[in-house]
Amino acid sequence: MPLDSSSYSLAQFSTQAAADGSSYLEMGQTKIICTVNGPQESKRGGGSRDQSNAARIETDISIAGFSGVDRKRHGRGDKRTQEMQHTVSSAFSSTLFTHLFPHSTIAIAIHVLSQDGSLLAACLNAATLALVDAGVPMSDYVVACTTGSTASYASNDEEADPLLDLNGLEEQELPFLTVGTSGGEDKVNVLIMETRVQMGRLEAMISVGLDGCKQIRGILDDIVREHGKKALNSRVN
Amino acid sequence: MPSEPAPSTNEREFILAALRENTRLDGRALDAYRPISLTFGNDYGTADVRLGKTRVLAKISCEVATPYPDRKFDGIFTITTELSPLASPAFEVGRQDTPELLLSRLLEKTIRRSGALDTESLCLVAGQKCFHLRATLHVLDADGNLVDASCLALIAALLHFRRPDIEVHGEDVTVFDPREREPVCLTIQHRPFCVSFSYYHAGEVMVQDATLLEEQCREGEVVVSMNRFGEVAQVAKYGGPPVDGLSVLGCMSAALERVKGFDKMVTEKLKEDEKRRDAGGLMAELSAENERPVEGGDRVML
Amino acid sequence: MATTSVLLPGEQIPPSDLPPTKKGTLTLGPNLRHLPPSTILTTTSGSLHTDPKKAALWIDAPHGRYQPSVGDLVVAQIHHGSTDTYHCALTPHTAYALLGQLAFEGANKKTRPKLESGDLVYARVKTASKWEDVEIECFNSSTGKADGLGPLKGGMVFNISPAFARRLMMGTDKEGRSKGGVVVLEEVGEKVKFEVAVGRNGRVWVDSGNVAATLVVGRLLMGCDEKGWSVEEQRREIETCLRPMF
Repeated sequence: MPLDSSSYSLAQFSTQAAADGSSYLEMGQTKIICTVNGPQESKRGGGSRDQSNAARIETDISIAGFSGVDRKRHGRGDKRTQEMQHTVSSAFSSTLFTHLFPHSTIAIAIHVLSQDGSLLAACLNAATLALVDAGVPMSDYVVACTTGSTASYASNDEEADPLLDLNGLEEQELPFLTVGTSGGEDKVNVLIMETRVQMGRLEAMISVGLDGCKQIRGILDDIVREHGKKALNSRVN
Repeated sequence: MPSEPAPSTNEREFILAALRENTRLDGRALDAYRPISLTFGNDYGTADVRLGKTRVLAKISCEVATPYPDRKFDGIFTITTELSPLASPAFEVGRQDTPELLLSRLLEKTIRRSGALDTESLCLVAGQKCFHLRATLHVLDADGNLVDASCLALIAALLHFRRPDIEVHGEDVTVFDPREREPVCLTIQHRPFCVSFSYYHAGEVMVQDATLLEEQCREGEVVVSMNRFGEVAQVAKYGGPPVDGLSVLGCMSAALERVKGFDKMVTEKLKEDEKRRDAGGLMAELSAENERPVEGGDRVML
Repeated sequence: MATTSVLLPGEQIPPSDLPPTKKGTLTLGPNLRHLPPSTILTTTSGSLHTDPKKAALWIDAPHGRYQPSVGDLVVAQIHHGSTDTYHCALTPHTAYALLGQLAFEGANKKTRPKLESGDLVYARVKTASKWEDVEIECFNSSTGKADGLGPLKGGMVFNISPAFARRLMMGTDKEGRSKGGVVVLEEVGEKVKFEVAVGRNGRVWVDSGNVAATLVVGRLLMGCDEKGWSVEEQRREIETCLRPMF
């Protein structure tokens, strides 16, 4: 299923003037605000702590209580959130040119306003846009999307195509995975799957996921270039 | 110093150069595991796994508790991981940093989320009473590959554990002491095991069962959990340098072979342990069933 | 030459075990404590060794953490540098040893070696006291020469116990046999060319130009340390390991 670019037409740049870079992204009903501050001086880490000669990437994800169907207060120390934070940080650690900023920190803050599936993928895409807005040098975008398998519900195994970009209801019912790419079409940066699936289905799911990421990359790239053109034109006049 | 000391540049370069020639420091093949030993304790539900110098201990215990209000028909199953300074001076008591977080999340996803343990079987009286099964994992010695060893220990301990037998009459539950009635096995739906792959040189070299030094020099890792039927319970690649999609799929088939080996080992060790406990055929004596006549004739119904 | 007996901590050495002295002075090696006027107590468990020629005695403890003492040669790893000194780690999870940036042969403010975090150096312990940080240097401060000390490039470093390191550094006696009972380095050195630097802190640096040879040497050393091979067993292991290479 090709992605509908209208789902992403609400990706906005520089939504927060105070932050170095910010973005707002909607993937279906999943709405994410992301701000980036940095590279900036590390607040702690003085003394004789030898941080490696590269910037540190710190991610903070806060999920609003009103984001889901039921009102649920998500604590900051929640392990699932911490795991997502770690995933976002390490996904960008290989694409951002952190060696240019020793002893600094790049702080990514993600706020989830509404979640309806594909949460991790949306976080990664929003963070990519915000990092581009902040002007952090990077080798490539990190784009992510989700794929799910309908094989168990399909009448005919061969015809069961994997689904692309699942929403909340689909994620609850089907086995799905989040795949993120950067630096080339077939290069998997992030791959997270938490549901049970037959090994044979994985190949199809991953390849459809990689294809979906290619489409998303094109969409995000268009958004970035359009914003860039606007910025250039406004500066020239 | 709170964190593990980083390896020297010489060590890092040497290990990477050796891997380019498909050699490892201890002479193993790239997909070979260190010698694994699995022993059970005298109590039911204790499993000690040694993987080379890495050593983890899993212990299962259970008690009666109230189920969660939104899960009335399920029991409670929690997994706790403890990385204590016993294992390495890098770990501190009570501190929850990334290695501990990832280990506990991976175990949660592999064992809890995939439904390895049937929590409905832990329910006693819907909405009021259920069993709270606690699985605690202590890392005693950390020399790399904690994830694989921990998962192995937990699954073995779950299979080994016996919970008290119960009788439910309406809303009254009688929990029998192990001396009154023989305790009962847990209902394990499937046995997922974790296999970690560390990769180097932009994903070209995939190594299984990395030692601590190899882990410190790696670019990233992929952790695959599956059971012996080829059902993948979870896959995790938390970022790090990108890897070819094909390499990831190659990991799956390698993992399947490894998981089959784990499963066989656990089954064998469990059988050995049963034999050891059953010395003298006491199990037959303890069974509450009466004997039935072997030949035809009248069958005695009880 | 060397008599051995196993002792526990706090035991007194009977006068009959003490080696004869010419001037009436005894040299006490590691893990022995002297209570005047004439009591010698052990401080750890281990075997007692005596050397009548040098009128020395010491306790050989097969394990334990390395305690820096003046004049020891160590393999140190640079952790980070501050204004005038490098902070180096001799053993993991202990306080750093200080290495002056000018403590190298022919170094002055204009020309000094630039060492990064993670580099290895072969150094000598200059001062080691309970109250101060340990100081190490990469040259002989009296002569100003390096004497083989300095940065170590390439190769691989292996971890061994401090007692084994001591045996490796004991040198050879008159007949050319190794006093410490370790023949690995000499015998392998006849067939394979390699450079080695033994650090008393339990780290041995080996460089043989190629991965396989370096690994062979390292594995033989670690095996000898962990399994305590005798000289015969060592020769057998060396044979087995070197055969596939030639």
